[in-house]
Amino acid sequence: MTFLEKSNWVVLVVAVPTLLVYAVLVVPQVLSKPLAEVSWVQPMIFTIVGFIVANVLGNVVAAASNPSEADQNDQRDREIDHFGERVGNWLIIAGSLAALVLAMATADHFWIANAIFLGGIAGAVLSSVAKIAAYHGPFQRW
Amino acid sequence: MVKPTLVTNSIRSLRFANGEMTQAELADRVGVTRQTIIAIEQGKYSPTLEMAFRIARVFRVPLDEAFQYSDGQG
Repeated sequence: MTFLEKSNWVVLVVAVPTLLVYAVLVVPQVLSKPLAEVSWVQPMIFTIVGFIVANVLGNVVAAASNPSEADQNDQRDREIDHFGERVGNWLIIAGSLAALVLAMATADHFWIANAIFLGGIAGAVLSSVAKIAAYHGPFQRW
Repeated sequence: MVKPTLVTNSIRSLRFANGEMTQAELADRVGVTRQTIIAIEQGKYSPTLEMAFRIARVFRVPLDEAFQYSDGQG
């Protein structure tokens, strides 16, 4: 397994618990209080920072497991990376468009921020899934 | 669904004909990862023209001895 594939597995392994932590911190509040009283800013910051830090640590561990391959990538890796980013960007765009529509509809900040947040995390997950699938299945540039 | 490539290759037999060269050694000489050589050998990835030339050059054979293009569906 190349370092870049390991790196994509790290994103998947980190993203799922990250989303679960956020859901556990915020969803019960949404169900039991008015939105204005829901504390979501700190959990979101905590989750985003945690996601980034866990990804960095995961990549360090992946690099340490085979240091000689950590800086190796070739054309196929780059093509798979571009392909996965293109796929993942659709969800990031969808999240941003949803936020735009919510802002136009003067929705609560909570919904606007969460549309962007979920679009970003879901985009990262979809991107990694697409890349891992490309590493294991047939992958052509056209 | 990604269409399977119509490009086939003889890399495996060329490796064995060249002193049972390992995939890792070929990857090293071509300047790609071993996983890319495996994907090319298994027909899961079509190399770029430049990469194909580099692979053929390692075995000192013409390009069409290392790679073939099926004309069945093209």
